[in-house]
Amino acid sequence: MIRLLLKVLGPEHAPPVRRTVALMTTTAIAEGLSYALLVPVLRALFGSEPGDVWLPLAGFGAAVAIYAVLRYVSDLSGFRAGTTLLRAMYHRLGDHLARLPIGWYSADRVGQLSVLASNGVLQAMGVIAHLLAPFISACVTPLTIVAVMLAFNWQLGLAALAAAPVVAAIQVWTGRAMAVHDAERAERRHEAAGRVIEYLQAQPVLRAGGRTTERFRLLDDSLTELQRASRRTVLSALPGVVALALAVQAVFTVLLVLGAYLALGGHIGVPEVLTILVLAARSADPLLSLSDISGKLRGARAELVRLDAVLHTPPLPEPPDPVEPDRHDLEFDSVVFRHGDHTVIDDVSVSVPEGRRLAVVGPSGAGKSTLLQLLARFYDVDAGAVRVGGVDVRAVASEVLMSRIAFVFQAVHLFDGTIEENVRLGRAGATDAEVRAAVTAARLDEVIDRLPGGWAAHVGEGGALLSGGERQRVSIARALLKDAPVVLLDEVTSALDPVNEAAVHAGIERLMAGRTVVMVAHRLRTVRRADHIVFLDNGRVTEQGTHEELLRHGGRYADYWHLSMTPAAD
Amino acid sequence: MSDTALLRPHLRSFTTVVVLQVIGAVAGLAPLLAVVELGRALLASGPVDHGHVWFVVTAGAAGLFVRLVCTAASSGIGHLLDDRVQLSFRRRLAEALGRAPIGWFSRRRTGELAKVAGEDVSAVHPFIAHTPGELVAAFVVPLVSLVYLFTVDWRLTLITLIPVALAVALVPLMMTPARLREQKEFDAAMGRIADSVVEFVHGIAVVKAFGGSERASRRFLAAVADFTTSFFRMVRGLAPLGAGMQVALSPPFVLLAVLTGGAALITNGGMAPADLLPFLLLGLGLTAPVAALGHGFDDTQTARRAVGRIRDVLTVRPLPEPAHPVAPQGHRVELRDVRFGYVTGHEVLRGIDLVLEPGTVTAVVGPSGSGKSTLVQLLPRFFDPAHGSVVLGGVDLRDLGSQALYRLVSFVFQDVRLLRASVADNIALAVPHAGHDDVVRAARLANIHDRILELPRGYDTVIGEDTGLSGGEAQRIAIARALLADTPVLVLDEATAFADPQTEHAVRQALATLDGDRTILVIAHRLETVADADTVVLLENGTVAERGTPTELLAQQGKFAAFWQTREEEVR
Repeated sequence: MIRLLLKVLGPEHAPPVRRTVALMTTTAIAEGLSYALLVPVLRALFGSEPGDVWLPLAGFGAAVAIYAVLRYVSDLSGFRAGTTLLRAMYHRLGDHLARLPIGWYSADRVGQLSVLASNGVLQAMGVIAHLLAPFISACVTPLTIVAVMLAFNWQLGLAALAAAPVVAAIQVWTGRAMAVHDAERAERRHEAAGRVIEYLQAQPVLRAGGRTTERFRLLDDSLTELQRASRRTVLSALPGVVALALAVQAVFTVLLVLGAYLALGGHIGVPEVLTILVLAARSADPLLSLSDISGKLRGARAELVRLDAVLHTPPLPEPPDPVEPDRHDLEFDSVVFRHGDHTVIDDVSVSVPEGRRLAVVGPSGAGKSTLLQLLARFYDVDAGAVRVGGVDVRAVASEVLMSRIAFVFQAVHLFDGTIEENVRLGRAGATDAEVRAAVTAARLDEVIDRLPGGWAAHVGEGGALLSGGERQRVSIARALLKDAPVVLLDEVTSALDPVNEAAVHAGIERLMAGRTVVMVAHRLRTVRRADHIVFLDNGRVTEQGTHEELLRHGGRYADYWHLSMTPAAD
Repeated sequence: MSDTALLRPHLRSFTTVVVLQVIGAVAGLAPLLAVVELGRALLASGPVDHGHVWFVVTAGAAGLFVRLVCTAASSGIGHLLDDRVQLSFRRRLAEALGRAPIGWFSRRRTGELAKVAGEDVSAVHPFIAHTPGELVAAFVVPLVSLVYLFTVDWRLTLITLIPVALAVALVPLMMTPARLREQKEFDAAMGRIADSVVEFVHGIAVVKAFGGSERASRRFLAAVADFTTSFFRMVRGLAPLGAGMQVALSPPFVLLAVLTGGAALITNGGMAPADLLPFLLLGLGLTAPVAALGHGFDDTQTARRAVGRIRDVLTVRPLPEPAHPVAPQGHRVELRDVRFGYVTGHEVLRGIDLVLEPGTVTAVVGPSGSGKSTLVQLLPRFFDPAHGSVVLGGVDLRDLGSQALYRLVSFVFQDVRLLRASVADNIALAVPHAGHDDVVRAARLANIHDRILELPRGYDTVIGEDTGLSGGEAQRIAIARALLADTPVLVLDEATAFADPQTEHAVRQALATLDGDRTILVIAHRLETVADADTVVLLENGTVAERGTPTELLAQQGKFAAFWQTREEEVR
């Protein structure tokens, strides 16, 4: 557990963690040892001269004082280490996330990551602050007490010692058994969560089918499965809990019987046997709490494993000797890109001379957006090369590559801030006049005029307060301000209403002027003026040429063109 | 609905769990008392009564056994009960969500609702399986001990309580306004860190594309710094108090108090040495309530908040169903002076009068924010109008009954949802008993049949497991779904059609094929669709600005004509 924690955090955090663990162990041992001093105290009190108690009692008092100081210091150290580690964890996570390839951020991952970064980190780091001390004390103090017992009476000591391997074996065995069931339950929970989301999102359709009066079978099945998995987990945990309780209590009973027997036979003094029984009773509760603490530790461990997996995802490698491209023609050279075992881009070779426009057309799922993303190095190719100005994008420093490219996405994400802040993201050092010019060129000024608060209006989380077309205009203004020589457009005009579409088109035209452009589009009217068009199907270029050439060729592109031009009545 | 009402069906098992836990905990005192009695017997002057000693030992062992059985049973039953409660909570949530007005969903995030059904229900776990039993045990056992100890020696009992009193005395120091403010700041900082993580991760593509990754991570790191500072401040304030409390409640400290008091009473107060034993054994248990309070309190608070959120969902009022549903005559749709707003004081629709005749296609056009999407959502009764009425076949939708309504109205909206089920099941969603031939016919009409045959298992392919479909393909499945439902009223958002030309074509074909008598309302995005429509309605700012046939409107040279011309100029 500690090893995993240190692996996740990095070796530089080992000393404080080790120090805290050592401190907590010392405290637990001190507690156990202080109990040894109970024997002289009780011997005096139960003996013929109770007045002699004060000296041993002072000794016990001193031991307690030492323990109290240690305990106080180690508790504080735990808190402090936990907090420091928490900060370190967040920094590490933040740094790493910024370096991961964008391709890694699927919608699924984003959701999981949000949970992991907020609750997961806290739960994992809580180990040091909250779980470690009780765990160490529950293990070490009873062991020390056993050692004390051995010192006073070997028979009783041995009987108590017998508990140690049994308890340890039960812990290990339960841990293993539970890991399997925990994993299964986690999987069922994930499955059920997916079904709930599906159920929520499909409400309109489900109702249309009158499917809400009966229970929705797919959801109900997964909920029932979850309950079954949970029940299996509980039933499998029960033997471990019972066995632990049985072992601890059996040993206590043995000590009670053996102690009574030895005392009746006069083999041991009454104060000794009573002290040992008091200490045995004292050890039972922490031991019994082990099953509870271990359960929590397992939960924290699972979070740590997830964090470890994220932190060990390799980022895209940066070139050791970066090259700066001095021109801006683009080239795909026999590019192959796979996602899992699915080949998304299959041997594509296309080039775009500087200042020209390439349009990529094809059915959805053909890999069009992926081509753009490979140019911006959201992923690395599996074979072949993507070049900007004749330089492989992998040889260009990522900051430099990004400074050459303006990317307008289909789905625009805005940060919760003002419109101006979002536009300024395009170029941090832009002057006010430049920002105004970009805003006007993107016809964003119309939107700003309409908004209450104008320039200073907040756009809400993810830009939720603006419509899709309005968000698109912000992203175009951003790209205009960036003034990069390469422009990538990904289905920019999808699903816009005519007013926004007109505005967006005007902005796009200004953005494209004099730049090298790659655009993905299916609205063929926007495509026809491109210098070169490729038709992508299933990751392969099946046709290419100018609009007129492709129409004459009479292939899929021509079909598409006619399909979108003919009225349906025919 | 109160928290207890949610739990009432499980009250008996719940009580069993708590009672077993208490019996087990009290039985756990038996071995301790056995040690006490053993001590008394051994310390008594005169010969030791062997029979008594063995009886005491047996009783102690028996107590341990009862404790083992009861706590194991309580834990087992508790957890199984917990599973049952969770299942029934989730089922009831699903049921409530299945009745909530569709409009209600649009104002909530799916993730939040899913969290209620998932994590929040799980958070009830300690509430049911652990905390009540543990809390009761944590109070009953010390109480029993306390009464017993008082009968032994009241003076030493009070001394034994000193550590508890010390710990309790520290509690007010934890509740000072400064401490509470720190706590609040910590909660707020925690919220900010979660938000900034989400924003950081969601915006990562933009962040990278615009080289702003430093900026965004700065924001994130600022939130982290903010969080750790407030966490440090809180810990600095609380940690010494917490650690002090731990020391006061720790067994060595309690033993020291008992022994010091005991030594004083034995040497000067005439207390029998054997009477010290119960305090050594039971005295430690007296600290349990204070410790349990701190420990169980957090979980209970979390569970309570979770139950609150669950209750919020369960108490959502469904759109009222009519007591006596009226059968509609025909399927003419009328909107009569319809007004509607999502928030009070801001109307999205401001007095719409509109008649959709059977056998006609009505195209709605207008800029974003004009209320188009809201208008079409009133037809499948995602919302009820605030004023005026939507009438289908002469009957107000509110008097129609939802079953009848959905047999009459189907819709294809932008947001297509496919279920993780077979393709055939997905198409037949609204018509569960449709034959295979009908499904295939609908798929052909929607231009998706050939694609389905290419899938690994054809119509039996499970979407999301065996294969994923592209956006356009998913939309064509949705169109097939609506075609199969074959309702006399069809509502369609044409933005659906923009995934690719094939889908676009499928929509137009569907519109053209749906013959005769159907009432069709479409949010139009393409000039072709508008040109083919029987009636065009131009919405502006929540009111109907112009209406008429496409040719009439173009000839009028009004707003509609201007609207389309701007588009043509830019696009062509």
